Amino acid sequence: MGLGGAALIAVVLAVVPFVASITGVRQASQIVIGVLAVLGVNVATGYGGMISLGHGVFIGVGAFATGYYVDGLALPWLLAIALGSATAALAGALVGLPALRIKGIHLALVTLGLAIVFQPLSKRFPRFTGGVSGSGIDAEFVSPSWWPSDTRMATAVYRYLFCIVVVGLALWATWNLVNSRLGRAMRAIRDNDTAAAVYGVDLISARLQTFAVSAGLAGLCGALQVVLVPFVSQEKFTPQASLVIYATAVIGGLGTIWGSVLGVIASTIVGKVGQAAAGADGFGPIGEFLDLLDESAFVFGVGLILLTFLFPRGLAGIGRRNQVTS
Amino acid sequence: MDLVLLLQRIFDALFNSAIYSSLALALVIIFRSTGLLNFAQGEMATFTAYIAFVLLSGPQPRLTGGGLAGLVPGVPFPIPLAIIGAVVCGMVGGAVTERALIRPLERAPDLALVNITIGVLLATNSLMGQWWGTGPRVFPAVFPSGAGQNFTILGARLRYSTIGVWAVLLAVLVLLILLLRQTRTGLAFRAVSISHANAELVGVRVGTTLMYGWALASGFGALAACLSANSVLLEPNMMLRVLVYAFAAATLGGLDSPKGALIGGLIIGLSQTLIPAYVPFIGFELSVLPALLAMVAILLVRPAGLYGTKRIERV
Repeated sequence: MGLGGAALIAVVLAVVPFVASITGVRQASQIVIGVLAVLGVNVATGYGGMISLGHGVFIGVGAFATGYYVDGLALPWLLAIALGSATAALAGALVGLPALRIKGIHLALVTLGLAIVFQPLSKRFPRFTGGVSGSGIDAEFVSPSWWPSDTRMATAVYRYLFCIVVVGLALWATWNLVNSRLGRAMRAIRDNDTAAAVYGVDLISARLQTFAVSAGLAGLCGALQVVLVPFVSQEKFTPQASLVIYATAVIGGLGTIWGSVLGVIASTIVGKVGQAAAGADGFGPIGEFLDLLDESAFVFGVGLILLTFLFPRGLAGIGRRNQVTS
Repeated sequence: MDLVLLLQRIFDALFNSAIYSSLALALVIIFRSTGLLNFAQGEMATFTAYIAFVLLSGPQPRLTGGGLAGLVPGVPFPIPLAIIGAVVCGMVGGAVTERALIRPLERAPDLALVNITIGVLLATNSLMGQWWGTGPRVFPAVFPSGAGQNFTILGARLRYSTIGVWAVLLAVLVLLILLLRQTRTGLAFRAVSISHANAELVGVRVGTTLMYGWALASGFGALAACLSANSVLLEPNMMLRVLVYAFAAATLGGLDSPKGALIGGLIIGLSQTLIPAYVPFIGFELSVLPALLAMVAILLVRPAGLYGTKRIERV
């Protein structure tokens, strides 16, 4: 990650609470935690070489689980968040089991199927998910007593900072992980699993761990969603949402931590520009196409196609020399 | 067990089976020739169903939405003509997609092609939502499907519409077989399916042949979407679930076997109706879960499916 880029992001993040409205701070928090889900896809697909089109599922599991732990079991928030993320990691390991044999494009197929099945499946367990209409979480994530104020704005800022700290820690941990023994094993498997096995990499354990970590990151995103908005509902976890997360990861650049951050930044900028463009009237037939820019799914779909043609290594790969890949 | 009820359920399932079989055929045609799973197949098909819808509704901007409103013909088309129009549009769309988006990436890794199909899926899906709204539209029945329009066999009703879709499917299949067996293009397509390099060596234009393959597949998809739009209601996400069933059917039959797609569609269609009926937990809402589990199980235990070619990997 470029130091200059990181410093710029830190400055922008620090300025937000001073200039933005309460809605703005809440939106900024959502954007920040979005990095976790994209990072999850990046770990599985970019580092592990396992295409996952269904990461929305793990966000969902993390959110539902956290809601249940904090409300149903009345656990303290920090524990509930950790357990929620762990539950998603467990779900990821379960999904990772078939990934031991199913590879490449077929794994993409299975994970897409999972993304499509998740909504009807979660309606079947209303005790945890609130069924069709979702359910509110009674426990609220409030600021501790040493926090200077407990107005709504102050609470929003506290949650915002909490999310930044958690996401920062997760980025740091993932950075260390991908540069550890497991990280090297992941990349070896991605590039050539037979060769990796010959060199003594335990394929089964490495693949399961990769999928678990990847799902755990997405689950952490889900847990923080509950922190920000005390409401869980299956409505948010559409197949399209999963695909947009995947697209963000690819657009940002797979196989670098920086790419996930870049993908989320790009999606934020494009989203704002799209909103502005859709708001502009009086362009006649062109206006209709401008309206489309407000549809994140449309922009991401087209963006995914364009990036694949122009910058196959994503935004993070622009300007870098192409590596030789087989 | 109530045998009449069982027979009735089987008859009901046959309609969906035909739809899954034809979408599975579309997936198989593309997989067989390019080794690519077209995740956008369902959305491309839904788009053509909307085209049929626009052709059917004539000059009613309110119904057709903003997009394409200017292109709407002055008179509403009769249903068969509208469907033929949609199939032709689908075939052109498929060919253009292959030429513009897939062929330039011929030598790119699998991941790039997955990205392209996902991109097409997302863009088409939201385009439809923007142009025609996300709410469901009533698509007219292609075959008479009202009350009483059925044969009664052993006390169970077999609808005319079920017979109709199967008649269309089988007729198109006969055409497909004739095309593959009796024409030069068909021969070229079979050669390309076996080996791109060898086909090229004997002078087959691989790219053009693949383009025909995509056109054919998208035609099948369009037909599936138009025939099912009445029963599942026309909406942008219409084919997402159908796609899971179709993929399950194609996997079960073997991803590179047209015969397998047909039989796989039959089995998946039957199990979609019969499993929820006899396993209360699954229920109608979750009927897509057994299809997904079946797909995973087949990929784990017997990746070649029932009729597919066994893949041998050189290490």
